[in-house]
Amino acid sequence: MLFKLAWRNIWRNKRRSLVVLGSVIIGIIAVLFMNGFMNGMLNQMLSNQISTNISHIQIHKKGFNDNKVIQNHIPDADAVEKKLSDNPDIKAFSKRVITFGLISSATNSSGVYINGIIPDKEKEVSIIFRQIVEGHYFTGDKREIVIGGKLADKLEVGLGDKVVIMSNTPDGTIGSEVFRVAGIYKSFSSEFDKSFIYIPLETAQSMLNINNRIFEFAVVANDYKKIELVKSSIKSGLNDNYEVMSYKDLLPFLVYQIDLSKESMWIFNLIIELALIFGIINSMLMAVFERINEIGVLMSIGMKNIKIFFMILLEGLVIGIIGTVVGLISGFLIMLPLESSGINFAIYTESLESYGIGAVIYPTLSMDDVLGVLIMIPLISIIGAVYPAYKAIKLEPVNAIRYV
Amino acid sequence: MEILRTENLDKIYQDNGVPVHALKAINLTINMGDHIVIAGPSGSGKTTLLNLLGALDKPTMGKIYINNEDISEKTKKELSDFRLHKLGFIFQAYNLIPVLTALENIEFSMMLLGFTEKERHKKALDLMEELGIRELADKRPNEMSGGQQQRVAVARAIVNDPTIVLADEPTANLDSDTGSHLLDLMERMNREKNITFIFSSHDKQVIDRAGRLIILKDGRIV
Ligand SMILES: Nc1ncnc2c1ncn2[C@@H]1O[C@H](COP(=O)(O)OP(=O)(O)OP(=O)(O)O)[C@@H](O)[C@H]1O
Ligand SMILES: [Mg+2]
Repeated sequence: MLFKLAWRNIWRNKRRSLVVLGSVIIGIIAVLFMNGFMNGMLNQMLSNQISTNISHIQIHKKGFNDNKVIQNHIPDADAVEKKLSDNPDIKAFSKRVITFGLISSATNSSGVYINGIIPDKEKEVSIIFRQIVEGHYFTGDKREIVIGGKLADKLEVGLGDKVVIMSNTPDGTIGSEVFRVAGIYKSFSSEFDKSFIYIPLETAQSMLNINNRIFEFAVVANDYKKIELVKSSIKSGLNDNYEVMSYKDLLPFLVYQIDLSKESMWIFNLIIELALIFGIINSMLMAVFERINEIGVLMSIGMKNIKIFFMILLEGLVIGIIGTVVGLISGFLIMLPLESSGINFAIYTESLESYGIGAVIYPTLSMDDVLGVLIMIPLISIIGAVYPAYKAIKLEPVNAIRYV
Repeated sequence: MEILRTENLDKIYQDNGVPVHALKAINLTINMGDHIVIAGPSGSGKTTLLNLLGALDKPTMGKIYINNEDISEKTKKELSDFRLHKLGFIFQAYNLIPVLTALENIEFSMMLLGFTEKERHKKALDLMEELGIRELADKRPNEMSGGQQQRVAVARAIVNDPTIVLADEPTANLDSDTGSHLLDLMERMNREKNITFIFSSHDKQVIDRAGRLIILKDGRIV
């Protein structure tokens, strides 16, 4: 019966209740949208890095990640390869030769990360083959090179043009090789496009004069959520000469930045929640003051203060629950299409790409955000009703009925 | 049998720092089944007295005994319980909760006493039948006339079988026919159920029909 009373009291002043409900609903949509947008952007930043180059886990000789010199090659690649092949939690892995070098065209030159890859294997651990926008991926020719669009612009080269790569070999001499541009890729990050070039593994090995040595295993796990587990299982199979690093170890700054941004979303949520609390306080106070006489009658006939208090809280809670349900549903209706189509920020393409995000952002609703709304909004509606309810029970019945 | 007694009841209001002596040395004994009307000119203290007897307000001095219990000793919560179990109220107007139907208004008091939904539904409907207001059951206050609202208020006041029903000018907003109808109803309940009624009024027909008349003037019984 108290619920019936609360429900009907809410609809007594339809306009006021609709205004409060509207603000709750808009607040929820704003929270869902902002959180979804941030989530989407941050996840994209991370997943772009992972899918373009990093992969889930990398194995190097100990110290290679900090000091990528040509002496730091994998001590026993065959042994590692055997271990990885036997691990059932690993979906794919690929070997890489990685070193610094200089790429030159007829007009210009630039410092780059040289990636010697096994083209077919690489396809299973990164998506660079899908990001080719001009020309093609490797076809088997030893002198094919794939470079980023930004670098091609700088070098002023196009498909089929000749470029020369030079790099230090272990014995201190300079190894060099001529390549023809086979493909030009465009990743999500313009920085990456400027500095990462791809050549076939064997060509890299012969140019550097390192036989069949390699520097890196890029590993993709079957289950994204079990990366840390797979990492420890790989680690336990290898001795101290190796370093096994997950993407979290490889991108510490990005992971930290993501955590920080997620933390800072709390402030945004808090501001919206505070605004909602004040809206509810305001409207519930009006509702109480309009009903002073009625509350006086309830007190006179023996309704206890605690029940009156509870009755007002219930009104706040019911508003909160209606708002939450409608807000979540409309939030979903707005967000779901955007989750698949994405939001195109074409005018910000340049800056978004320099952050490695890509111009189209796909907002993603996380369970945490939905749960947050489900818990927080009803809760703050109750909090907003506390002061008005307190005001109501501070009335003296005599004064309240005199109010007629 | 005595059910209510006051001893030297005084009430002094503070009106912006100016003391207003609204009741002076009221000594009153009321017996079970009495039908009492408190009359007197405006400002004589009728409402003040009823509020004190109804435990809605506390006297400045003096004591009130209901069923030999000193109600001035009770806490707010105890008073609220006391009102719920022992007293019924009918005010001049706006007695009913506007968002509840007549039936729900009557049931509401019973809900506060912890009756189950079935019990209160039956009892409230039976009482409405008895009072001849069965057809108002599903109407909301704004769909009823003043007289109809007051009769529902009577039903609400007596549904919990109170010892005393207090009514402050219950007929003030009604025309004389409707008022007389309401008085008939309350007199019948007084006779049949032996409920003690205490009214305040300056309505002549209420005063004429009083079982016992108490006249107040400047806060004193004359
Ligand atoms: N809360 C209050 N504060 C100050 N003075 C009050 C208060 N309530 C009543 N009074 C004063 O006490 C006196 C008695 O008032 P009360 O309302 O009891 O009279 P009444 O007989 O019910 O009058 P009426 O017939 O107009 O309803 C009046 O002088 C009134 O102004
Ligand atoms: Mg009065």
